[in-house]
Amino acid sequence: MKKGRKKLSFRTMWKIHGVIFVSPFLIGFVAFFLLPLFRTFYYSFNNVGVGDQGGMTFEWIGIQNYINLFTTEVTTTNTTMARLFTEENSTMLLSLPLIVIFSLFMALLANQKFKGRAIVRLLFFLPIILGIDVVMEMLTITTGGGTTLDTGSNLLSGSYVTIFLVRTLNVPMRILYPIMTYVENIFDLISQAGVQTLVYLTALQSISPSLYEVAKMEGATAYETFWKVTIPSIMNITFFVVIYTIVDLFLKSSIAEEAYAFAFTQGKIGIGSALSIVYVGNVILVLAVAALLLRKVVKKNEK
Amino acid sequence: MKNKVSMSEMDAGLAIYLFKNKFKKGAVKFFSMVLILGLCFTIVYPILSLVPIVFSSVEDLGNPNVIWIPLEFSTVSFKAATRMIMPQGIMTMVKSVLYAVGIMVLQVFFSAMVGYSLARVNFWGRKLVFGMVILVFLLPRQSLLLAQYISFVHFDVLGIMNLFTKAGEINLINNPVVLVMLAIFGFGVNQSLFIFLFSQFFKNIPKELEEASLIDGCGFYRTYFRIMLPNAVPIISTVAILSFVWNYGDTYYTNYFNPQGSYMSTLLSSTFISANKDYVLNALRTWYDVPVATDLAFDAVKQAGALVFLIPLLIVYLIGQRKLVENMENSGLVG
Repeated sequence: MKKGRKKLSFRTMWKIHGVIFVSPFLIGFVAFFLLPLFRTFYYSFNNVGVGDQGGMTFEWIGIQNYINLFTTEVTTTNTTMARLFTEENSTMLLSLPLIVIFSLFMALLANQKFKGRAIVRLLFFLPIILGIDVVMEMLTITTGGGTTLDTGSNLLSGSYVTIFLVRTLNVPMRILYPIMTYVENIFDLISQAGVQTLVYLTALQSISPSLYEVAKMEGATAYETFWKVTIPSIMNITFFVVIYTIVDLFLKSSIAEEAYAFAFTQGKIGIGSALSIVYVGNVILVLAVAALLLRKVVKKNEK
Repeated sequence: MKNKVSMSEMDAGLAIYLFKNKFKKGAVKFFSMVLILGLCFTIVYPILSLVPIVFSSVEDLGNPNVIWIPLEFSTVSFKAATRMIMPQGIMTMVKSVLYAVGIMVLQVFFSAMVGYSLARVNFWGRKLVFGMVILVFLLPRQSLLLAQYISFVHFDVLGIMNLFTKAGEINLINNPVVLVMLAIFGFGVNQSLFIFLFSQFFKNIPKELEEASLIDGCGFYRTYFRIMLPNAVPIISTVAILSFVWNYGDTYYTNYFNPQGSYMSTLLSSTFISANKDYVLNALRTWYDVPVATDLAFDAVKQAGALVFLIPLLIVYLIGQRKLVENMENSGLVG
C-alpha cells in the first residue's frame, strides 16, 4: 500500500519536473504567440490610433479594415492586395514541387559511391549557408536597373550548345526559351534546397541495404528498385520536406513587409493587422490542402 | 562436340551480356558524374565569379577585356566594404559572432529541455504542447510581427513595470534583452524546429538508460544532465550548427527588434540597398581617391562585403559539415 503510494507520488513528481522543463516554452507561447495572435485579431477589427497621452486608442469598425484592404489599399509597389496574394501563392505552388524533386535528385546523386564524395557533399550543402537571405541579396548585381544574379546563366544563352541547337538543329526558340529560363534559375532553386537535400540524404542512407539486396536477388531493375524500394521508404520524410518547404517559402514572402509598412510607415495598424490575419489564413489553407493531398499519397504507398 | 559448340556460344552470349552490362553501368556512372560536376559548378560559380570583380581595381570594372584575371590586383573594394560593415573594425565581427554563439547556446539549452520533456515525460497535456510546437513552426513568424513589435514597445508583465517606471511600461525595442528573451522562451530563429528535432531524437534513446540511472539513485535533473544530454551530442551539434548559421545570418529579429545593434548582417543589408548607392559611391570616391567609381564599383564593394560576412560561416561550415550528415542520421527524424 505504502509502496504503491510512493510510486504514484514519484510519477507525479516526474511529471511535475517535466512541466517545469517545458514551462519556458509555455510562457513564450502565451507571451509571443497567443497574445500577439489575439491582439492582431483584435486590432484588425479596429481603427487603431495614437491617443493624446501616448497610449493606443481603439474604435470598433467591424470588417471595414478587410474591405479596405482589398478595395482601396495598395502595396508599396502599387499593386492591389488580391494581385499580391495570387502572385505569392502561384510562385509558391510552382516552386514547391521543383524544390522538393530537385532536393531529392541532389540527395540521390550525393548518395552514390564515387571518388571525391566528401568534396561533392561539402559543395552540395553549401546552399545552407549561401541560401541565407542576406547573402543572396548581396550576391545579386544591381547594375543596369534590374537585379540579377550572375549565376552563369549567360553562359547558357550565349553558349555554343545553344547556338548549335538553334542554328544547326533548328530547334525553335519557342521551345528552347522556357527550358533556358529554368536552367538559368537553377541557382535560385539550389539555394532554397539546402536543408531539404540534407534531410533527404539522411533518409536515403537510413534505408536498410538488405532491402536493396532482396530487390537485386529478385531481379528488379534499377528503375523498379527506385519506385518500389526507395520512394516508399522516403514517403514519410517527403511529408516533412513538403511542409518545411512551404513554411520556408512563406517565410520569404514579402507580405509581412507590407504589413509592417502599413502599420509603421503609414500608421494604419488596423489595416496591417488585417493583412496579417489574411496571411495567416492563407498559410493555414495551403498547408491543410498540402497535408490532405500528401496523406493520401503516403497511405497509398504504405499499402 | 555438339556440347562444346553450345558452350562457346554461351560464352559469347555471356561476354556480350557482361559487356552490355558494364557499358550500361559505365554510361550511367558517366552521366551522373557529369550531372554532379555540373551541379557543383553551378553552386560554386556565383562565388568564383566574384573573385575577379572584388579583387580588381575600381578602374578596371566594366573593362570587357578583363574576364577572369584582374589587370591590377587591388583590395580597395575589400577595404571599403570592411570599413562600412565593420565600423569598429574586427570587433564588429567578433561581436556578431559572439551574439550568434550566445543565442545559439540559449537556443540549444532550452530547446533540448523542452524536447526532452516532450519526448520522455508523460505529463498532462503533452500532446497539446507538442501540437503548440508544431503550430508555432507552421505559422510564419512575420505574421505576428506587428503585435509582437507593439508589445515590446509597450512592454509590461502583469503591471509589474508600474513599480519601476512612471508610465507603467518600458520600451524594449533596441534592447538586446528582447532577443535573449525570445531565445529563452523558445521563440528564437526557427526554434520550434529545433524543439521538434530534439524531441524526435530523445524518443529513440533506449528507456534502459533512464531506468539504470534511476536505479542508481539519480533524480530527474541528474538523469537529464548526466545521462541524457551527454548522449545527445549528435543532435546538439546539428542544432548548434544550424542555429549559429541562422542567427549569424538573421536580419529579421535583429533588424526589427534591435535595429541599432550594428550586427554585421543588418549592417550589410542596410548599407548595400540600392537606395544607398550614392552614399557608398561617394564614400568610395573620397576615402580611396577613385573619381571614376560607377555602379559597377557599388556591386564590387557590396560583394566584397558579402565575402567578408561569409568568412565565419564558412569556417563553421567546414568544421561542422562532415558531422552534419552523420548526425542527422541519428537524429530520429528519419525512419
